[in-house]
Amino acid sequence: MKALLSIVPLKNRLNGSFEEASLFQGIDADNLAHIEARWRPMFEQRKIEAKKTGESLAEINAEDAHWEWGKKAIAAVRDPFLFDIFVLECAGNTQAIMLVRKGGEKCFSRHPDHLRAPLIYVDFLSTAPWNRSRLVKEPVYKGCGRTLISTAISLSFEEEMRGRIGLHSLPGAEEFYQDQVGMTDLGTDRNYHGLRYFELSISNAARIFNP
Amino acid sequence: MKRTMTLNLTDAEMSLLEGLCEEKGVSKTALIRQALRLYKSVDERLARGDKVFVESANKAEKAELMVL
Repeated sequence: MKALLSIVPLKNRLNGSFEEASLFQGIDADNLAHIEARWRPMFEQRKIEAKKTGESLAEINAEDAHWEWGKKAIAAVRDPFLFDIFVLECAGNTQAIMLVRKGGEKCFSRHPDHLRAPLIYVDFLSTAPWNRSRLVKEPVYKGCGRTLISTAISLSFEEEMRGRIGLHSLPGAEEFYQDQVGMTDLGTDRNYHGLRYFELSISNAARIFNP
Repeated sequence: MKRTMTLNLTDAEMSLLEGLCEEKGVSKTALIRQALRLYKSVDERLARGDKVFVESANKAEKAELMVL
């Protein structure tokens, strides 16, 4: 069900060392079990604490806590022509997961540099709760989200889309996509839950892969 | 696994295909793959009972899109 794509280094922020993480295309029952048995209880516990302190889900970076990855994974596995799913594993745990669309709706650029050109659309991306700086006091691994976004960019190059990717960001992740990844903020999309839409242009994709 | 096929097109069809590839900056394979994905995506929405519309830029006309 899943194939190893590469081994990538992840920085363990607790001890400063780099550890080997495995990047897979596809998903298996172990990943879904990790999400249900290890991710979900942490999210739920933090949400209870946030409710007491009056913090919003965006403030604790848990706006995606309700996503049902089991259903998303089944949809992706059933339709590999339109979808791809990737997981990042390290230290025997699922550290991050991403579902992308490779064609059809949502897969056309809105960027003024290349309007209507095809792109890879990042439908969903989540990192494990213990890696999130606003969710836990001492986050563990750094670079999980960036690794998966780089994977989406690589896929875009493979599909002759020249690195173009697009996504709608949850409010708590906007800063990451704009400032850390270098995506262009193309404004609020009234047709998609009022979320802001971001795109990585060809020129910025090239900069990421050839700095 | 990838498989190879021969596609018989008229001059006009080939010219259109090559023009689109030039305009989009992709190979014929990539363009046809994207066209198939779009077709499948729209077809699935229609099969679920959803509707797909095309609206003119000035919003004066709106037509329902049907596919084969």
